[in-house]
Amino acid sequence: MALKGTEGSAATESRKIELRNVSKTYGTEEESVQALSDVSITVETGEFCCVVGESGCGKTTLLRTIAGLEEPSNGSVLIDGEEVTEPGLDRGMVFQEYALFPWRTVRENIRFGLERPACDCPDCAARVRELIDLVELGGFEEKYPNELSGGMKQRVGIARSLAVDPEILLMDEPFGSVDARTRDRLHSELLDIWEQTGQTVVFVTHDIDEAVTLADRVMVMDSDTGTVQSTVSVGLDRPRDRTDHGFVGYVARIRDEVASPANIS
Amino acid sequence: MSLNTDISRVTRGIRFERGLRRYLRGLGGLGLFLAVWWVGAIMTQPSYLVPSPLDSARAFLGLFATSTAVVVPLLGSELVLPTGPAHLLETLFHYVPGLLLGAVSGISLGLAMGWNGTLDDWLRPLVRILRPIPPLAWIVFAIVWFGIHHAGAAFIVFIGAFWINFYGAYGGVENTPGELTDAASTLGVERDLSMLKLVALPSAAPQVLTAFRTSIGRSWMIVVGAELFGAPGVGYEIINASNNLAMATSVAYMFLISLAFLCMDVAFRLTERRVLSWH
Repeated sequence: MALKGTEGSAATESRKIELRNVSKTYGTEEESVQALSDVSITVETGEFCCVVGESGCGKTTLLRTIAGLEEPSNGSVLIDGEEVTEPGLDRGMVFQEYALFPWRTVRENIRFGLERPACDCPDCAARVRELIDLVELGGFEEKYPNELSGGMKQRVGIARSLAVDPEILLMDEPFGSVDARTRDRLHSELLDIWEQTGQTVVFVTHDIDEAVTLADRVMVMDSDTGTVQSTVSVGLDRPRDRTDHGFVGYVARIRDEVASPANIS
Repeated sequence: MSLNTDISRVTRGIRFERGLRRYLRGLGGLGLFLAVWWVGAIMTQPSYLVPSPLDSARAFLGLFATSTAVVVPLLGSELVLPTGPAHLLETLFHYVPGLLLGAVSGISLGLAMGWNGTLDDWLRPLVRILRPIPPLAWIVFAIVWFGIHHAGAAFIVFIGAFWINFYGAYGGVENTPGELTDAASTLGVERDLSMLKLVALPSAAPQVLTAFRTSIGRSWMIVVGAELFGAPGVGYEIINASNNLAMATSVAYMFLISLAFLCMDVAFRLTERRVLSWH
């Protein structure tokens, strides 16, 4: 596991993502929903961080705020110490429902981010080929998204976000709609990619098993308050075995955290 | 032989049978219609009220037996063609420009309003007021502004085609899935013209093309309506023939229109399938 933040940098410099007292409220003054309430978290450079919690607890909002797709109502999001105001190529996003461009083939979807003038890669075609190999989609380059299975679509989604070589990968329940076996394979592929690229990953899921399989650290969000109620560091070597005693212990511990409401007055 | 190939052979057989059955039923429906028409024609007096299928077919062939000269607008030169196609060509001289101009301007305004909220705010009430006016109601202005000839009829077709295409483009752009614009903006596309070009436009394409296809058909209705007021073409020939009580000729022109529309629709469907192969 090659972490980038180990090159003797000061502790503050290894903070890739920092949220300072971030709140997000939707709706009008009379009828509003508090999706995030005073969330302050940091994610280290190269860290794989999972966010778990029940549906509708603001996990997605948290991710979208880091991506710059949502503006916080209060507080600020910092990337490398600089405040986020809009989406940027430093933060790639993988969507739950894939969000592939249906009129573009697999190759054209993956290429999308490389077509911007802002992104100058010396050999885009080679880069796309490399990504297609990386996510094992050889032979499907000219297929359209509606010809692919869920697992394949999400591989395209991942490759598309990796194309511009973002330092941060934001993943919103990316494997929520693929079958269990495919998910297992995608997990190990994702971990391989992460180890190769050394990216910082924030991965949202409601599946605690998935979180413990992947994460260095698991943040538990509370659905009622919209806060991060606790953080659990997962001290297991990868690849992780789900039947392993330690694994089961972590799952049980996090499940308890999710079930018990936060003790915040 | 494996179960799979057995199954595929059986399903292929079923599909063929179902196709054949549909084909035969369609033929049956046509035959029944012809029979009712024929009996009705025989029983109705005076006979010109309902021309018989045979008379109509004879009249249809007659459209190709004589020839007529058509003046090509703008060029002013004359073309001599069989009578039926000659009048069809006259119709096309206002149908095609009206349809194309209407489609281009309708799609342009629809895209602009669907994409730009400020423009939408400005124009939405106006659109609400103008939209319900049936294109043919503009005939009075078509006559006083352009005269009852190609330009006037083209103007009416323009209005009809404009609205259909406007709503196709407007709705298509407005319905662009938010997740696609989100995905594009995380990949470096700013929310401006490039987002319109790279995301909203291709996403709206199916709706735009469907609207255009609808406008092909609707424009035929409108063009015939405009010609009933005197612009040259197949619509004018329908009313002209009926003024002479040559109802079979009217029916012949009606079928000529149907034929022309079917050809256009099939041609467009084929193009659409090629353009939207991903859909």
